[in-house]
Amino acid sequence: MDAIRVNSLKKKFKKITALDDVSLSVEEGELFGLLGVNGAGKTTLINILSGLCKKNEGKVHIFDFDIDKNLNEIKKIIDISPQETSVAPNLTVKENLKFFASIYDVKEDKIDSIISTFKLNEVINQKAKTLSGGWQRRLSIAIALVSSPKILFLDEPTLGLDVLARRDLWKIILSLKGKITIILTSHYLEEIEALCDKVAILSKGKLLKIGTIEEIKKNVNNKSFEDAFVEIVEENQ
Amino acid sequence: MKRTFNFAKRNFIEMFRDPLSFIFGLGFPFIMLALFAIINNYTNGNTPMFEARALVPGVMVFSYSFIMLLMSLLVSKDRKTLLLKRLYTSPMRINEFIFGYAIPGLCLGFLQSIICILGGLIIYLPISGDYFTFTQSILLFVSQLPMLVTSVFLGILFGSVLNEKSAPAVSSVFISASGIIGGSWMPLDTMGEFETFCRFLPFYPSVYLGRILVEASHTNGEKYIFDNIASLGLIPIVVALILSVVLSILAFSYQSKKD
Repeated sequence: MDAIRVNSLKKKFKKITALDDVSLSVEEGELFGLLGVNGAGKTTLINILSGLCKKNEGKVHIFDFDIDKNLNEIKKIIDISPQETSVAPNLTVKENLKFFASIYDVKEDKIDSIISTFKLNEVINQKAKTLSGGWQRRLSIAIALVSSPKILFLDEPTLGLDVLARRDLWKIILSLKGKITIILTSHYLEEIEALCDKVAILSKGKLLKIGTIEEIKKNVNNKSFEDAFVEIVEENQ
Repeated sequence: MKRTFNFAKRNFIEMFRDPLSFIFGLGFPFIMLALFAIINNYTNGNTPMFEARALVPGVMVFSYSFIMLLMSLLVSKDRKTLLLKRLYTSPMRINEFIFGYAIPGLCLGFLQSIICILGGLIIYLPISGDYFTFTQSILLFVSQLPMLVTSVFLGILFGSVLNEKSAPAVSSVFISASGIIGGSWMPLDTMGEFETFCRFLPFYPSVYLGRILVEASHTNGEKYIFDNIASLGLIPIVVALILSVVLSILAFSYQSKKD
């Protein structure tokens, strides 16, 4: 079953075309990567899919819900971990989780299981603002799972993290694979390659290629994913 | 309702764990009262503006502008860290956001008012032996509520439209303005046309109303009474209250789509 179906999506910000006739579908349980350089339209696409931003044209379905008609229903089954860590800085780790649980009316048992999954026990009483970048990102993703979303949007989840913290987060993201549908945006090619089942390459608002990593590599007769990405983007400059 | 309460609780904790709330929100009014009491003492009571009955209502209105500053900081920081973006994808509605922000601001304002009234009592009673009654204190507290609500919603408005760097800058203009044109410690009643201008803004009429209720005296020694200045002064108080609430809701709603 398709978790996300996008048809002929268009978005303009004044004179700038952020998304131009984008069509794609994401299967339930898939870890789907959105790849592109700065200004490619990745965040705009995520914002539209999560109901944060209105599209100009096209159709978007989240499971069976039409985003134009059922946004409130969609909000109950999605969650987002934005580019910034987006946690409450003066609240402790546990208070952050409890706060978001209270917004979604989630029971405390769920929080305990998330604390254990994300190994947050060692920082549980620390204020969020005192956590390192890696822990803040970990908390940010943990918060996004409090509502038990069917679809999770991760916008540049490892941006600015060191290698160890990044690898640590990869493990967490991989542990979620297959359990929920994840849409992940990233600049990092190795991240997309390591994590994603399927990838969409965007450039200047256009969808250039979509497929598995192997399909994309094969498509342009290249050995490495990085070479394939560069060739695809440069071809369409 | 439950979400509003939970969001308000988060904002309450967030504000009360920030030392700025204690320094500006609660400590500063007390320090100002003490400072003006010392000046009044050294001028042998020749500065009527610094007598408790005239000063406390003025300091209350002035202090609310710090609540505005703290609110604008809270909202603009939540926008910057994208905490609000995350919450926009939740089932929370605009009214839940607005009241969730306003409730802790009002709580802080209530505390601030109590500190001003009790602080005035602690500082002034031993010096002058004169202070207003309990009933007058309650009336003063209630009379300043519209100005408190206006300040809280102005803070939400500024936090919605400005970033975390410009919000404090604009708020500080209001802080200065409320001190000067509110007549908190300036004898506006001796300033002719400037006083007339100040009557069109909500700060001075609110201070004026408070001074009537606690039987304060003008610079010339006459008591503040419910005259034309007071009755016409209710108009800017009510207009500012309505405008701040409506504009903050509109601005927050607009910004939630833009962010």
